[in-house]
Amino acid sequence: MGKLSKLFLVLSVLAFAVPAFAQGGAETEGKWIAIAAGFSMAFASGICALAQGKATAAAAESLARNPAARPGIQLALILGLALIESLALYTLVIIFAKVK
Amino acid sequence: MPEQLWFTKVLNGLFASPVTSLLRALHLAPKHATAPIPNSLAMELLVFAFLLVLFLLVRSRLSVDRPGALQHAFEGVEGFIQGQSDEIIGHHSEAYTAFLAALGFFILFCNLIGVIPGFESPTAVPIVPLGCALCAFVYYQTQGFKHAGIGYLKHFLGPSDPTMSIFIRLPLALLMLPIELISHLARVLSLTIRLFANMFAGDMVTLVFFSLVPLGIPIVFLGLHIGVSLLQTYIFVLLTTVYLSGAVAEEH
Repeated sequence: MGKLSKLFLVLSVLAFAVPAFAQGGAETEGKWIAIAAGFSMAFASGICALAQGKATAAAAESLARNPAARPGIQLALILGLALIESLALYTLVIIFAKVK
Repeated sequence: MPEQLWFTKVLNGLFASPVTSLLRALHLAPKHATAPIPNSLAMELLVFAFLLVLFLLVRSRLSVDRPGALQHAFEGVEGFIQGQSDEIIGHHSEAYTAFLAALGFFILFCNLIGVIPGFESPTAVPIVPLGCALCAFVYYQTQGFKHAGIGYLKHFLGPSDPTMSIFIRLPLALLMLPIELISHLARVLSLTIRLFANMFAGDMVTLVFFSLVPLGIPIVFLGLHIGVSLLQTYIFVLLTTVYLSGAVAEEH
């Protein structure tokens, strides 16, 4: 199956969410916020994990090449990981600020 | 009546009327006149009092010939922060160790006090990390002005290469000015949100797993929360050191 077909197959699963609107008493906007919150947090966490994986791999490789530089490499690794983590946390904060 | 911790109840019982009158004199109305002190402020005051007692205790027991365990611990902390700021800032970094150590101790104990039942972390509400970030921001800006005088404002024009002609340097400086101002303000935002979101998420995750499996599993997440508290304190102090080095470092 081509890449585009796979993408459309995954996206068509979203159509199963439409019956959620059949419930009476809740505004449509409330339902969309919950779905958008789930998707955005998953997206942010996934990309954060990729970036942190790259940073850790680079640190591990440079440590293997030059074990004497450990303090500097450790400092750069911890600093980089914390900064990348905070970007995923911004998404979490927006969710808690917007989702009632 | 809001939900209060036992310590907040004690403080509100003693100080509710003077605090409410003080707030009203400043044209601010507390949400509950009988409980103007929120949980976060009560916990902050408790951490402050505890740290004051701890520092006075260490100060009274300092000895050159026979240092006790407390003195060893504090010398270790001072050596660690001093070594790190020496590596990042360079020479003359001893002047900044006091502020960085105090900031680190305060944030660490604020983060950890939430683990004890009956208390909650003041850093889990957004206003407390904002206060810490503003303290760090004001500190490094004033240190920058103290170090370079009014010439500190040149930092906001971005890097400038004297070999380029003035017709390139001037528009570049004008372009860099809003970017630098926004990035300095973004530092306050990022310090705040990083600390707040880590503490808040740790609480949330422990509560979620407690509601799913009340026995055993939440301990793992509580342990993770303690690890994250220590790491986030270290990151806050490290970033403040990096911002300090940006403000006071000289290019040779």
